[in-house]
Amino acid sequence: MDETMSKVAVKGNQMLGIGAAIAGWVVPGLGHLLLRRWSKAAVYFLCIGGLACAGLTMRGGVFGAGAEDLFDRLGFFADLGAGVFYFLAHQIQAAGPDVAHATGDYGTRLFAAAGMLNFLTVLEAYDIGRGGEAK
Amino acid sequence: MNALFGSLTHFGALLFFALVVSATFAFLSKRGITERVKYTLWAFLAFLLVAIGIGWLMYPFSQ
Repeated sequence: MDETMSKVAVKGNQMLGIGAAIAGWVVPGLGHLLLRRWSKAAVYFLCIGGLACAGLTMRGGVFGAGAEDLFDRLGFFADLGAGVFYFLAHQIQAAGPDVAHATGDYGTRLFAAAGMLNFLTVLEAYDIGRGGEAK
Repeated sequence: MNALFGSLTHFGALLFFALVVSATFAFLSKRGITERVKYTLWAFLAFLLVAIGIGWLMYPFSQ
């Protein structure tokens, strides 16, 4: 797909950057889709969405907002990065978490990794949106 | 989705994690399809090598 043409078509500004960042946080890849970076949008959605769904299907734990422990708060911050997958976690993971087994523990890490990866793509979407020269 | 991820072994989960993280890093940091494919492969193999290496290093402590 030709993304070189779209770089000319989308002229960056601060508001576009913020809008793309918020869209990219809510749905991984949506920010890049709005900026017409088609291949990046597809790859980010598939990779981050796949990682989040794998984590939830493996019955990984999802950290809540009311955590007292610092580690749990960091976990909440990481999980929150997954956007819509965080808010739909209970629907996707109907059976609930099971971190007593290694598979569930791996699921917790996979879901947190999805959130952290999405934060990186959000920063890139913001940079492209405000007119930065991203890769 | 359960059929796809529910039966993942631990090594399968490692392969899947390494692949998707490598691909995302490649698209974040490289431009052009050749560069991205090369970086994905390199990072994927590095993930595997490090994971298996650390596994072997930790093995004596599990006894």
